[in-house]
Order: sequence, then C-alpha cells, then structure tokens
Amino acid sequence: MSIIREHTQATLSDAWRTIDIDALEEDSPANFDTATLRPAQQQPEVSEADVRQLQAQVRQLLRGGDAEGALRGCLEAPAYGGSELARDAALHTVIEVLQSIKASDMTPMLRRIYGGAGGSECLDVLMKYIYKGMAATSSATGGAPRTPTRMTPQPTGFSQIGPRPGASGESTGAAMSVLLSWHEKVVEVAGLGCIGRVMTDWRKV
Amino acid sequence: MVSLDQRASQSLRPYLQAVRSSLTAALCLSNFASQTAERHNVPEVEARTSPEVLLTPLTIARNENERVLIEPSINSIRISIKIKQADEIEHILVHKFTRFLTQRAESFFILRRKPIKGYDISFLITNFHTEEMLKHKLVDFIIQFMEEVDKEISEMKLFLNARARFVAESFLIPFD
Repeated sequence: MSIIREHTQATLSDAWRTIDIDALEEDSPANFDTATLRPAQQQPEVSEADVRQLQAQVRQLLRGGDAEGALRGCLEAPAYGGSELARDAALHTVIEVLQSIKASDMTPMLRRIYGGAGGSECLDVLMKYIYKGMAATSSATGGAPRTPTRMTPQPTGFSQIGPRPGASGESTGAAMSVLLSWHEKVVEVAGLGCIGRVMTDWRKV
Repeated sequence: MVSLDQRASQSLRPYLQAVRSSLTAALCLSNFASQTAERHNVPEVEARTSPEVLLTPLTIARNENERVLIEPSINSIRISIKIKQADEIEHILVHKFTRFLTQRAESFFILRRKPIKGYDISFLITNFHTEEMLKHKLVDFIIQFMEEVDKEISEMKLFLNARARFVAESFLIPFD
C-alpha cells in the first residue's frame, strides 16, 4: 500500500513547513542552556529596595562632593540579575552620577579607579551602563519608527514651518552627549577590551 | 543658528568615535560552521539558531533620531544605522536614498538587502569579508558612510527646495 494514498487535505497543506523542528529537539543547538555561560556562584538577586538604598547613599556622597566615591560605589554593586525596575533604578543612579561630573575630571578619575583594586571590573560595568543608557533612552522616546502618518499634515506644504519634529529631543540629546564623551574616555583609559567584555559577558546590568 | 551647528558638530565627533571603537572591538570574527545544518556556513547573527554564539548587542545613540545598533556574533556582525530625519522631506529623501543603495547591494559587498526594523540601512559583515578585506578599512567605510550620508541628505534637501522654488516661479509667470 503506497503512502500516497494516505494523503489527506491536512497533510497536503504547507503548514508543517513552518514548524521550527530545531526548537522541539532536545539536543539541538537552539536549545543550548545559556545558564551554563554565567558564572557558577551567582550573586544574590538585587532587589529594588537595595538599589534605592544605594541611590540614597550615592546622592549623599554627591552632595558631599565625593563624586569619585559615588561613581565607585554604584559600579561596585551592579544590579546583575535583578528585576526590571531595580535595574532601571540602578541605571538612573549611574547616569545621575555621570552627569554631575565635570568633563575635565573624567580622565583623572577614571585613571584612579582603573589603577585601584578591581578597577578593570569597575570600568567594564561602567561601559555596560553607558551602552544600556544609550539603548534605553533612544528606545524609550523614539522607539517607534517615524512614519508620515504620525506627522500632522501641514496645509502650506512647507514642513519647515511650525515646530520641527526633532526639536523635542534636545534634552535626550544632551544626556547622550554626556554618555558619548564618557564612552570615549573609558575607551581611552581601559582600551577596546572593555567593549569586548561588554559584548561577551552574560551578566547584564 | 551658528551655536546650534557648532554644538552639532561637537557631538558628531564623539558619536563617530564611539561607533568606531565599538566596531573595531566587535569585528573579531572567525569561521564557524552551522551547528544545525551539516556542511552549511551561515551568518549566525541572521540565522539565530545557536544562542551561545550571539553576543550582547550594542546601541550607540547620538539622540533619539540618530543611532547605530551593532549586533555581534561569532562569525558575523550586523550594523544598522538610523539616519537623522528632521522632517518629512528628509524622511522621503532618506527612504529613496537607502532604497537606491540597497537595490545595488551586490556592488557594496557588505550591504544588507533589507534594513532591520526601526533602522534605515543595515550592513552585514561576515568572517569572509574580514578575511578578504582589511578590518580598519571596513570600519573606515562605515564611518565615512555615516559622515557622508548626513551631508548628502541635507544637500539633496537644499537642492530640492531650490528646484521647487524655481519651478513654482516659472509656473506662476503666465499669471503675472
């Protein structure tokens, strides 16, 4: 008996072609357990309360004029594996510290941190926060692609008249330029290796 | 106006510098055969069949309208650029310009035929490209592209406005 005869309407359809059989197979590389790539002794979960407490301490240090201590404080306790809220709060803390430091103080401060104990690790964490900051701010405000339908039609046909759509991004632009200049300084001090470690590290901030 | 332009060019340099250093760090590719299909060799960043060879994507943003996404993996890296679009005319010009380029993608070797969602143009560099071409030249190409494209778009916009004005004037002459 030929198998051709067994064909029904259901088997003739193409739906089965779209099934991702790799996901169903246990041994396939698609099901690689990425937990094995993280360090064995995972740090305890960072809760939002911990981050808030750190934020308060960091603010106190900033008010006291100890910007380096503040920066070091939040880099030594990165929010690995915390909840989304905790990690966002940690990111805001770091950005707050970065924005409060003068451009002329950046390089000497980074050199001091890099030279200290665990300095290389600290700057890797800082780099992670810089990339996360740029990704978060750009997607939060301008995530959706700009489409002509979202723009208000202008009766004159001259789109230069009226407020420019890009004009709202002035404040985010300022925050970005702080992050960009920090990025440049960190690469100067810690080298390209710290970007490589941001890419390859599975512990994400 | 002058101060605005100055600030713009001041923030362009660190932006391009950040892209340059991130690209240099990310362009570290090696030959890696597909783990799902025997005797295949596919860019892992596109295939996404093995999560362990995909690295953390990096975003570099200058402001909300201008950003670069670098998605590295073991044997390929995908770079997506969102070009500055201040108004509708620039939006149309960017669309036409990137369409013109992507239709000729073979001549550019590393150009991807379709940009990924949310970006205007994408490049895909595989280990075969880095074996054939010099890495620093590839980085230079991307940076130069980013520099040129802004200039090109604003030039086209000026040209378009001048031409529209001329057309409008000559159209209205008979009614004068």
